[in-house]
Amino acid sequence: MARIELRNVVKRYGAVEVLRDINLDVEDGEFIVLVGPSGCGKSTLLRMIAGLEPITAGDFMIDDIRMNDVRPRDRDIAMVFQSYALYPHMDVARNMGFSMEIRKDPATERASRVKQAADTLGLTALTERLPKALSGGQRQRVAMGRAIIRDPRAFLFDEPLSNLDAALRVEMRLEIARLHQKLGATMIYVTHDQVEALTLADRIVVLNGGDIQQVGSPLDLYERPANKFVAQFIGSPTMNLVPIKGRPEGVTLADGALLKLPHLPDSPDAIELGIRPEHIEVTDQGDLSGIADVVEHLGSDTNIYLNVEKLGPLMVRKHGNIPIRPGERVGLRIQPENVHLFAPDGSALRRASPNMAA
Amino acid sequence: MTTRSQAIDVSGETRARRSLYWQYMVEPFLYLSPAIVLIGTVMLIPLIVGISYSFQAIELLNPFNTGWVGLENYQQLWSDRKFWIALENTFWWTFWSISFQFLLGLGLAMLLNTQFYGKKLFQALVFLPWAVPTFLSALTWAWLFNPVIGPLPHWMVALGILSEPYNIMGDPEIAMWGPIVANIWFGVPFFAITLLAALQSIPSELYEAAEIDGASAWQTFTKITLPFLAPMIAITVMLRTIWIANFADLIYVMTGGGPANSTQIVSSYIFTTAFRKLDFGYASAIAVALLFILLIYAVILLWLRKKLVKI
Repeated sequence: MARIELRNVVKRYGAVEVLRDINLDVEDGEFIVLVGPSGCGKSTLLRMIAGLEPITAGDFMIDDIRMNDVRPRDRDIAMVFQSYALYPHMDVARNMGFSMEIRKDPATERASRVKQAADTLGLTALTERLPKALSGGQRQRVAMGRAIIRDPRAFLFDEPLSNLDAALRVEMRLEIARLHQKLGATMIYVTHDQVEALTLADRIVVLNGGDIQQVGSPLDLYERPANKFVAQFIGSPTMNLVPIKGRPEGVTLADGALLKLPHLPDSPDAIELGIRPEHIEVTDQGDLSGIADVVEHLGSDTNIYLNVEKLGPLMVRKHGNIPIRPGERVGLRIQPENVHLFAPDGSALRRASPNMAA
Repeated sequence: MTTRSQAIDVSGETRARRSLYWQYMVEPFLYLSPAIVLIGTVMLIPLIVGISYSFQAIELLNPFNTGWVGLENYQQLWSDRKFWIALENTFWWTFWSISFQFLLGLGLAMLLNTQFYGKKLFQALVFLPWAVPTFLSALTWAWLFNPVIGPLPHWMVALGILSEPYNIMGDPEIAMWGPIVANIWFGVPFFAITLLAALQSIPSELYEAAEIDGASAWQTFTKITLPFLAPMIAITVMLRTIWIANFADLIYVMTGGGPANSTQIVSSYIFTTAFRKLDFGYASAIAVALLFILLIYAVILLWLRKKLVKI
C-alpha cells in the first residue's frame, strides 16, 4: 500500500507545457479518478506516475521516497492499459504470471497465484487461451489479473473501459469497485467518462488544459463546483448557464425577474447563473416560462429542451413520465438553494454555508 | 400419372446436377483461365522443359549425340566428386552468409528502430550496398582482398589473423571467406529493411507493459521482440537461403570457383557446366538436384514456422 504525493509537478514537451504545477496527495488505499476532456493531460500524468514519461520538474514521491528517476519496474506499480497490452503470443496464464516469470519465481508458486487471480476474476476456464480468442471483457479481466498478481503498492488504470460496450462497461465498473474494496489498494484511474468518475472515486481530480481545476469527492464536485468548467463537466445532463445581473439581494434574470439568493452573499459580482436540469421545477406558478422544443421520454426521466424568451435555451429533467408535448408552454421555477453563481473569470462564488444545498 | 411425374422428377434432378457440376467445377476455371494460361506459359512450361533436359544428353560440343538417356545424368551426378564438394561448399557458403547477414541485419534494425540525430541519412547509407550492382561489389571486394592494391590483407596481418599479407582467395582452405564477406556486406541491408519493418509493427504498449512488469532489456528482447519477429525471421531466412544458395555472381566474379574448386558452389557449378563445358543435360540434372534440396529445406522451415509461431 502506498501514499503518493505530487509536488509542483510539471511536464513539458519542448516548449509546450502539457501539465502545470500539479499538486496532489493520494492517501493510502484511496481511489483517485483523474478526469477531464481529451488532451487535458490526464493520461500523461498517469504515465508520469507509472514512470513511462519523464517528469520535467517537481517531485513525485511514493511513501515519502522521491521516485522521479526510478525506473518503472522499481516503482512497484501495476498498470492496466486502455488497449490492455496483453502479450499476444502468450496464453492467459502466462500473461498474468509474466511479472513472476520475469522475477524467476518458482513455477509452483506462480501457478497457484495465477490460479488464485483467475478464480477472483472468473477466468479459470480460459487460462490456456491466447488473447485473440478472448472477448473484450475477458481481455480486460486478464489485464486486471496481470496487475493483481503482482500485489503492487498502487494500481494505475488508463481508461480501461473505453474499448468496451455500454453493458460490459457497467459490469466491469462494478468489478473494479469490488476489487478496490477487496484489495484496499491505492488506485489511480484515468477516464473521460464522468459516470465512471462519479461512481468509482473516493476523490475526483478534474483536469483541464494542464491544470487541476478541482479536487474533491464526487458529491463535492456536483454540489460545489469550483468553477464553470467543473460545473459543466460534472453532472449529466450538463448544467444550464444563464446570463444575469448581480444584485445585493440576489440576481435579476434577463427578463427582469428578481431571484432572491440569501445563501450567496457575493451575488453582486455574478454575471452568470448555473442551474442543473434536475433543479428546475415544472410548475404553473413559476418565475419563468418557456416553449418546449424537444421532449425526450426516457421512462424513468423526462428531458425537456425549452426556449425561454430573452434567456435562451434551458434544459429541464423531471423524474418520471411528464405528459408535455413539443410546442407547449411550460412554467418553470428555479430552486434558489441549488443555484450556482459565476464571476466574470469563471470561478464560482462563495456560498454562505457549505451544507446549504440539499 | 405417378410414373409420369417420377420421370419428370428424375430428368429435372439430372439437369440440376449437371448445372451444379457446370457451376462449381468448370465455370470458376473459365474465369481463372487467363491467369492459369499466363502462369503456365511463364512458370510451368520452362520448369518442365528444364527438368526434361536433365533426362537428355544435350552437349553443344557433341551435337550428333543427343536424345533421351533416362537417368544417366543422375547416375553420373551421384558419382561426381566435384558435385559433392560443391554441395558441401554450398552449405557452408549459405550457412555463414545467412548467419552473419541475419545477425548483423537484426542488430542494425534494432539500432535503426531507436531515435537519434541523423537517422534518415544513416538509414539511407545502410541500404546503399543493396543498390550496388553485384558485379561492381564483387570486383571491389576482390580488389580489397588483393594485397597489392587492397588494405584488408595488411589489416588482417596487423590483427594477427594472417601470418603474412597474401590474398585469402588464393588459399583453398579459406578462399570461401572472400565471397562470404562480400555477400555479408551485400545482404545485410535486406535483413535490416525487413526486420526494421517488423520491429516497427510491434505495439509500443507491449514494451511499456513489459517495463512495468519488470522485464530487463534482455528479457524484453527474448520474450517480446523475438516472438514477434519470428514469422518475419522464418520467411526472410527461407527466402534468403534459397536466394544465396542460388547466388553465384559474387563467386563467379571473385574466384571463378577456384582455387581447386574450393569455392565452387552448386549453382556456380551448374553455370560452369552449362556455359563453359556446354553440357546442358548434365547442368539440368544438377539444377534439379539443387531444386529438390531447397524444396525440402523450405518445407522443413515452413513446418517449423507453423509450429513455433503463435500470432
